[in-house]
Amino acid sequence: MTGIAQRLTKRPLLLAAAAVVLFLIAGGAFLTWYKFFREEPQPDWVRADPDTRFKYGSIGAEWDAGIPYWIFYVLPRMFPEKLPGPGGYASFGVPWEEGRELPVGFTKKVIGFPRVANNCAVCHAASYRTKAGEVPTVVTAGPGNTTNVEAFFRFFVDCAKDPRFNGDNVLWEIANVTQLSWLDKLLYKYLIIPITKQRLVEREAQFAWVYRPDFPDWGRGRDDAMNLTKYFMLQLPMDDTFGPTDMPSIWNLKKYDAPDNRMNWAGDSHDAYSVIIDSALGLLGSQNGPKHKDDFLAQMDWLEEYLRNKPAPAYPFPVDQTKAAQGKIVFDRTCASCHASRRTGTPIPTAEVGTNPDRIATWGKEYAIASNKVVSRMGIERKGLVEEPLTGYVAQYLDGIWLRAPYLHNGSVPTLRDLLKPVNQRPQVFYRGYDLYDPVNVGFVSTGPQAEKVGTMLDVSQRGNGNEGHTFGTDLPDAEKDALVEYLKTL
Amino acid sequence: MAGDIGQTQGKSKRDGLGPKLLRWWAILSALIIAVLIGIGVYAANRFLPNRPVTYADIRDHFKYGSTGGEANFGFPYWIWQEMPLLCPDYLPADRLAPDYQARVASYRRGETAADRLALSREGYKALGLLYETGPDAREKDLPAGVSRRRNLGLDRVFFNCAVCHTSTVRDAPGDKPRLVLGMPANRLDLYGVERFFFQCANDERFNKHNIVPAVDALGADLGFADRYLVYPVAVWVMRDQVKRLESRLGFYAKQPPWGPGRVDTFGAAKAIFDWPWKDLPDWHKDGSVDRESIGTADFPSIWLQAPRKRRADGKQMQLHWDGNNDKVEERNLSAAYGTGALPPIIDHAAIGRIEDWLLSLEPPSYPYPIDKQLAAQGKQIYAAYCADCHGASGRDFTGAHVGFVTPIDEIGTDRYRLDNYTHDLAVNQGTLYAGTPYRFTHFRKTFGYANMPLDGIWLRAPYLHNGSVPNLRALLEAASRRPVLFYRGNDVYDPQDVGFVSDVPSADGRQFFAYDTRAPGNGNGGHEGRAYGTELPEPEKAALLEYLKTF
Repeated sequence: MTGIAQRLTKRPLLLAAAAVVLFLIAGGAFLTWYKFFREEPQPDWVRADPDTRFKYGSIGAEWDAGIPYWIFYVLPRMFPEKLPGPGGYASFGVPWEEGRELPVGFTKKVIGFPRVANNCAVCHAASYRTKAGEVPTVVTAGPGNTTNVEAFFRFFVDCAKDPRFNGDNVLWEIANVTQLSWLDKLLYKYLIIPITKQRLVEREAQFAWVYRPDFPDWGRGRDDAMNLTKYFMLQLPMDDTFGPTDMPSIWNLKKYDAPDNRMNWAGDSHDAYSVIIDSALGLLGSQNGPKHKDDFLAQMDWLEEYLRNKPAPAYPFPVDQTKAAQGKIVFDRTCASCHASRRTGTPIPTAEVGTNPDRIATWGKEYAIASNKVVSRMGIERKGLVEEPLTGYVAQYLDGIWLRAPYLHNGSVPTLRDLLKPVNQRPQVFYRGYDLYDPVNVGFVSTGPQAEKVGTMLDVSQRGNGNEGHTFGTDLPDAEKDALVEYLKTL
Repeated sequence: MAGDIGQTQGKSKRDGLGPKLLRWWAILSALIIAVLIGIGVYAANRFLPNRPVTYADIRDHFKYGSTGGEANFGFPYWIWQEMPLLCPDYLPADRLAPDYQARVASYRRGETAADRLALSREGYKALGLLYETGPDAREKDLPAGVSRRRNLGLDRVFFNCAVCHTSTVRDAPGDKPRLVLGMPANRLDLYGVERFFFQCANDERFNKHNIVPAVDALGADLGFADRYLVYPVAVWVMRDQVKRLESRLGFYAKQPPWGPGRVDTFGAAKAIFDWPWKDLPDWHKDGSVDRESIGTADFPSIWLQAPRKRRADGKQMQLHWDGNNDKVEERNLSAAYGTGALPPIIDHAAIGRIEDWLLSLEPPSYPYPIDKQLAAQGKQIYAAYCADCHGASGRDFTGAHVGFVTPIDEIGTDRYRLDNYTHDLAVNQGTLYAGTPYRFTHFRKTFGYANMPLDGIWLRAPYLHNGSVPNLRALLEAASRRPVLFYRGNDVYDPQDVGFVSDVPSADGRQFFAYDTRAPGNGNGGHEGRAYGTELPEPEKAALLEYLKTF
């Protein structure tokens, strides 16, 4: 070292050159950090109240799963033909509050440049209207009944594959909406746009199964959760399973504290904390785990606390209390043994319930073991996924059941009244994701021109969509069914 | 090694060339550099300036000043002037003199550039554009509502706020029209304007071979660069730009014609987001329409914005026909999209001048005699029937329901405009002006129409949001007794019925627009029944009309 220093002091020109090089390297490093990695906190309003934070607060997904904000902004204008219909991102059915820059479940954060990613609310915010002439009410932690997640996945991949997704065209469209600096234009053109395109195209292989013609569309309000885990977290090759399920409500999670309770439709996870972490890691989209682990875990703690204590919303129409009281008697006699007992929150053997088994076939013990290893490697401790074979679907707690339509794990029965009918009398084809509520049948309006225009079709004869099973209460006299439905509104 | 070879070669050359030749080389290099610098300076001078024509007087600024929008879709000035002469057949023939096309086609002996320009203006007048006469008693070269900017090496023109919010009024057919700023542009046929520009720019005639010489004949006095570079490129770019505009705004052609004084405002807002419309049914071919796809409404007056910033509950009034926005400044920026003023190029200072001026700009008062005694009687009827929703008077906008939305089932007027504005559009509008302090936060889906103050109501005919009732007298009739078909676009005033003359199909050989209330979106129902004064006895209606003239 000293030798080099001596030689340098003897040769001032070399010293000056070295200083310039060092300065350039330092400057370049700073610029790179500033333009690509500098993190700015979200504005204060985001955390002003818990519901707002749940809807718009970042969980750190912008690092690896984020899309550059201005690219996200212009894609619907550049490729409207790849959207499910007119309406920009609203055509995916996402709940979107008027006056907000982004839909619910979408977060904006500057990491070098503004980026958009998702949080839990993208799948767990429900939307309903009590009449057609009304702005939708958004319920945080409710099931994302209107959101078409699969169409979202396809849209970004489809855009990225289109040759018109290039630096010139994207920048031309951006120039119509904002003024980027000369340097930013260069960065977008030669780095940000091509990298975004490449990373979106790379997703296609893992998304292969969402393009399979022999699988029906998930449609609004559903996803194929365990296959998402297999193909993204475990990076397994595509198999032949398909198990679409309804987005669940995730309010009032403290109810799962009861002994032996399991979570997820088929009881694949041990506890709320594990489910929150695993779902969040899915949104982060990184094999290496969260960028800032401590911050991430703090967020998870906040989410758990929020979701443990968030109550289910009250039924927004009048309830006939007398009838509901009669219904309580029917409920206690017919439903309580599974839905208000020690069995609640635990898996019931498939043979006993008889609902469609496709979801169970998408997962297994070996996947649970592998997933738990991945999460452990990230240095995250949690009880995790259940490393046992799955035996059946979890008997649900029924809090806020009115807003959790359509029913059964795969959302194959549109209303509670339909669920109380024998299988062959339940609707064969109906439309999901129209958010107008039907207080007569207790569920969403699922037929008629508006439901067809807005919603997505579900045909129970297609794979994963079977509406069989759970025939409990289907032979009750009509008066008792009426009373029972009235009581269910009060839960 | 390589360096050595180069050095030897250099040396040998220098040895061989000698000092004289070297000096020549130096001079030549200096010349080349000087020429390059010269070209650079010329090009910078020529193509970099980006400045609008500005006006000190606010009224001139409103009529001819820029919002910044010309830099977006602005048409080259001389092409603007040439277009009616290039495509006279795409102008509405029934509003032109029968020999117009013939006059355009023949270059008469002794015809001057000024004559050709007059012919161009004659064409634009058929679309309802209004030309003022300057102090030199000559017509101005651009109509009110068109601004001009030096940009990209040529003058570009585009529409500003005044094009939709300025019109004329006359007392009798032979009189000179009086220009009124801030009133609804009753005569502007925006549907025809769009159709004309889209068709002409798409036409095979729209090429440099036709345009460059014709522009010369208009007196453009094109220089070398203009002739061989700027205008040929401008023709090509404009065709491309207009096609792009049409791909977003072309939905209009599927709708029943708007007629003068109307526009599908939020259809155009959907175009900002490039919402697809090409699969929608075409009313002209299919006879049917998509319910949400027609929102044709009257241009509004834009006077007295300050008092609209307060209503009974202390909030701002709900603006736009359906009350979908309650912030004056945001509403203004939204409207400015129509002038091409996109967020990166909008001139906030220029818009701000207009915004401030409009806060207190008053409508002209009623110019015909008013029976004061009768009006005094009418005032009481107004107070009993109208004031709660429409304000205490033409200047006092207080009232329990003024600036609030009345639910559609109650008001009962045509639904199309309401249904055309969707929740999906409202939330998308929340993304506009993202990344700036101006980001839109006030757009809301509503479920009725807003109760408007009535300042200058006499000039705001035809009435209701879709302009489906020709005059105030007809508005006080039950819908079944209102005219099923009437004529729009006449600026002759009818003090008898309080509105513009609407029963005359043509004047001076020019047809007015036949407004058919049976076409989708054109319904004249609603705003009727006892509460709306349609059941008042005739003398009371007459008194009420008389009072409304004082607004």
